[in-house]
Amino acid sequence: MKKFILITLAAAVIAAIVGFLLYNKPHRDTASAESDFVVEAPVLLKEFTENEAAANQKYLDKVVAVRGKVKSVTPDDEGNINLTLDADNDMAGVICTFPKADAESAGSINEGEEVTVKGVCTGVLMDVVLIRCVVEK
Amino acid sequence: MKKIVFNTLLLVLLATAVQAQDKFFTKTGKISFFSSTPMEDIEAHNKTTTSVIDTKTGKLEFAVLMKAFQFEKALMEEHFNENYVESGKYPKASFSGAIANLSDVNFKKDGTYKVTVKGNLTLHGVTKAVEAPGTIIVKNGVVNAASTFNISPEDYKIAIPNLVREKIAKQIKVTVDMNYEPLKG
Repeated sequence: MKKFILITLAAAVIAAIVGFLLYNKPHRDTASAESDFVVEAPVLLKEFTENEAAANQKYLDKVVAVRGKVKSVTPDDEGNINLTLDADNDMAGVICTFPKADAESAGSINEGEEVTVKGVCTGVLMDVVLIRCVVEK
Repeated sequence: MKKIVFNTLLLVLLATAVQAQDKFFTKTGKISFFSSTPMEDIEAHNKTTTSVIDTKTGKLEFAVLMKAFQFEKALMEEHFNENYVESGKYPKASFSGAIANLSDVNFKKDGTYKVTVKGNLTLHGVTKAVEAPGTIIVKNGVVNAASTFNISPEDYKIAIPNLVREKIAKQIKVTVDMNYEPLKG
């Protein structure tokens, strides 16, 4: 009987720990994640504008490394950074958001520079949007 | 004669400048939502909202990617995307509407203006008419627009299982904060 209580108790503790870890599961770390795709910014935008459904199939939720020329770097008032990559289009580009924690890597980048930005693709509005970005060296 | 030419030129320049500033836009607008219950607070932020405001007609458009909402906990984000808003199936939410009291706003004069915005909000494949109070602040040629309103998940056919119903508020508070820049034509 004692043994039974012990086992039940142990099981409950394990379940609680697993539950807690699962609940606090960290976000995917883009910096250490392997890129699923490596693509030039104009090509990425083109794929999305030509066939959004197919591009969504291909890129959504994937870690994408995008290479392109920096159009603008704008920090917001909370310390996050928005970086736009030029995609040979006046109206649209690739917008990459850097969380505060990774903002440092984007802070030293200048407009006109060629960079590779790695982030999670979330789809297209006018621009293709990547979140949780880091600059790849 | 010289003066006439100069004046005409100035007029033309002014006219084009005014015309170019009819529309304001942003691609990095912020939308966040907040659900508060005694069990749990849930908050998500999106900083890549695209929006256009036409100061002549008062028309407003917003578009946002559901997958670009970021939560504190990865699990919340996963549940939000997979179970609730089904962002794979419905990747975007949008609002299309207009300022109901446009005559109360002078976009050419610095100031703070209270507005009411009416239009249609599309979320999770469901379109519903909404009305929200907002504030427009014009300062040095840039336009800031902010609004806070509530929506109910049930209105947009977002099914929440009974098991977690108590953790998600019946009314979700949505906060919109846009910094518009003049759209150069």
